[in-house]
Amino acid sequence: MTTAIQLHQVTAGYHDTPVLHNLSLEIKAGEMIGILGPNGAGKSTLFSVLSGLLRPSSGTVKLNGIDVHRMPPAERARTIAVVPQELDVPVPYTVEEIVMMGRISAIGRFSSPNDEDRLRVERALVYTDATDIRHRPLNELSGGERQRAIVAMVLAQDPRIILMDEATSHLDLNHRLEIMQLVERLNRDDGVTVLMISHDLQIAAEFSRRLILLDHGTVVADGTPSAVLTEDTLRRVYHCDVRVHQDPHSGGISILAAPRLPAPGSGKGIHVHTLGGGGCGESILRRLTLCGYTLTSGVLNHGDKDAEVAGALGTATVLEKPFCPISREALDEARHLARNAHALVLAPVPFGSGNLANLDLLDEALAAGKPVFIAVGIETRDYTRNRDAVARVNALLTRGATLFQDVADLIPLLPTC
Amino acid sequence: MNNRRNFGLVLGLAPLILALCVLMGPSGIGLPDLDLQRDILGLRLSRVLAGFIIGAALSCSGVVFQAVLRNPLAEPYVLGVSSGAGLGAALAILTGFAGAFTTALPLCAFLMAVCTLAIVYSLSSHSSTPSLYGLILSGVIVSSVCSSLLMFIVSATSLEGMHNILWWMLGNLDMPSDQVLGLSAVLVTAGCAGLWLMARELNALTLGHQMAHHLGIRVKAAILTALLLATLLAATAVGVAGLIGFVGLMVPHIMRRLVGSDHRHLIPAAAIGGGAFLAVCDALARTVMPVEIPVGVITALLGGPFFLVLLKRRRTPGWIG
Repeated sequence: MTTAIQLHQVTAGYHDTPVLHNLSLEIKAGEMIGILGPNGAGKSTLFSVLSGLLRPSSGTVKLNGIDVHRMPPAERARTIAVVPQELDVPVPYTVEEIVMMGRISAIGRFSSPNDEDRLRVERALVYTDATDIRHRPLNELSGGERQRAIVAMVLAQDPRIILMDEATSHLDLNHRLEIMQLVERLNRDDGVTVLMISHDLQIAAEFSRRLILLDHGTVVADGTPSAVLTEDTLRRVYHCDVRVHQDPHSGGISILAAPRLPAPGSGKGIHVHTLGGGGCGESILRRLTLCGYTLTSGVLNHGDKDAEVAGALGTATVLEKPFCPISREALDEARHLARNAHALVLAPVPFGSGNLANLDLLDEALAAGKPVFIAVGIETRDYTRNRDAVARVNALLTRGATLFQDVADLIPLLPTC
Repeated sequence: MNNRRNFGLVLGLAPLILALCVLMGPSGIGLPDLDLQRDILGLRLSRVLAGFIIGAALSCSGVVFQAVLRNPLAEPYVLGVSSGAGLGAALAILTGFAGAFTTALPLCAFLMAVCTLAIVYSLSSHSSTPSLYGLILSGVIVSSVCSSLLMFIVSATSLEGMHNILWWMLGNLDMPSDQVLGLSAVLVTAGCAGLWLMARELNALTLGHQMAHHLGIRVKAAILTALLLATLLAATAVGVAGLIGFVGLMVPHIMRRLVGSDHRHLIPAAAIGGGAFLAVCDALARTVMPVEIPVGVITALLGGPFFLVLLKRRRTPGWIG
């Protein structure tokens, strides 16, 4: 089989902010591939690069062996086509006119559509079951009909590669399956290479033989659906717990998002004191509040990002003057709050000499037999002169403090009523 | 198909309407006495022809601005052509340069219109593809700056100069000479023909930049060429006939309803329909009152209510047509 798409060390992005990092990928002609990944993973940017909309800052993109940016536009249109999530058409084009647009690059400037163009339009209309809506204006149609018309336009374009950019996400279950079956048939009968971005992992798993999972602009996993869609991988990429079941009869994969957050209010009656700063404790504060924990916080500096969040969430917070080291009075006040807490949590906060005193609170909590939870990675955040913070945190850990990765990790560890 | 029938209707009726327009004039309705008043017939003919050319230019340019900017309120003056031309004309009248030779006034207006556009383009195209909102925004800003300058000039000038400038701004299809008429006919024909050849690009561009790119269009080049040709048409119209409003906004909408949105039909229909419309308006402007009324008044009076009825009755959910 020949190679349809070849990306070689592509770095691309917008306004000097790279979204794709050194991405290399090879896709053979006739493959049907699902592109997965959380929001901002670079899926749409990948499509922009493939379709020649976005020029990568480095690396090459080859379609059928030819650099996409060297292709004349008409040849590019014969090679690759895109089905967008939705098409906003301000003028009342009829479905037939829209489908004829697929032939634009094939029809010469000085000629009108010939028999072949008409035949292809007709075939695309039949293929997508759009013959009875052919004379209706596109913007009068329902979402499903509209998407069928756009797929018909892409069929009339007759490309070798089709990119589906969340093309079915606005459709109901029935129409979603219908469009997918249509594309699958194109892939099977005509050997068209299909890449689809989908947030519906199940549909992606069902219709693709290969899945590519992107995160932060790089390929995290690439392989068969059962190899890519593992609980472990998904948990790492989507930051939430999922249950993956493979049906023993059909082989179909079903994925259930099991929210790692316990039900709202599950933390009622539990008092947690958090130590953060600089915005690092924001998500901990937010999600613990959502779960109903009673939170206190501090010592933080006035005007600090965490202090703002804590204030907005109504968390009792001990504040020190802006940019000042923690004073004895403030620490005493925080000690008072922490004394009533059931557990103490240290967010991934950077340490300098100014806020090192906060660690006293953890020492005392451990001494009082309270559980203490510490975010991983203190080594990277210690800016004190003698790396005092690392030493003290390690001492805390040997005395029984617990490490945690992120807030989703933390919640199951916290004491319950 | 209705669209096809309407297209034929527009093409067929236009010569008839133009012929009727020739029969109307301030000297009476009907064919003038060919032996005694041959000149009158010539005057009327050139007037009707001027109306047709300017009308065609304005409506074609309106079609293109609406399609490329994907905005129903776009019209030939949206990027500041009108204010720039107005400023040029005012300067020409004030400095007395307008009297230097017959084509001086239209030339000044045309050149200033083109200058304004160059400024608008350069302001908005800092990125690789010109942003549509950037274009509209800088058009509005440059246009209001030109208007203020014009206002300042008008307020600082003598009564006679003011009258001349105002009269020019109201719009007038009286051609200073046959050369001007001939030259504008050539420019307008070339512009409209060029845009007609770009019909498929215009079709694709109404689906948005990205879709046009996917369909195999050179988006940046297509946008620039289309806007430049449309601007050339608008600048020519403003240069020779002053500010005639409404034609460029309304005729495209009406034609889209009649012949559909495919630019392969829409461009010629708009050119011919718009030309006939302006010729009729001008014939009325010359005959309904003992004194000639500015043709811009007629276009707005005729077109406004008609357009409102269309809007009221429209069934399609799209915002154009």
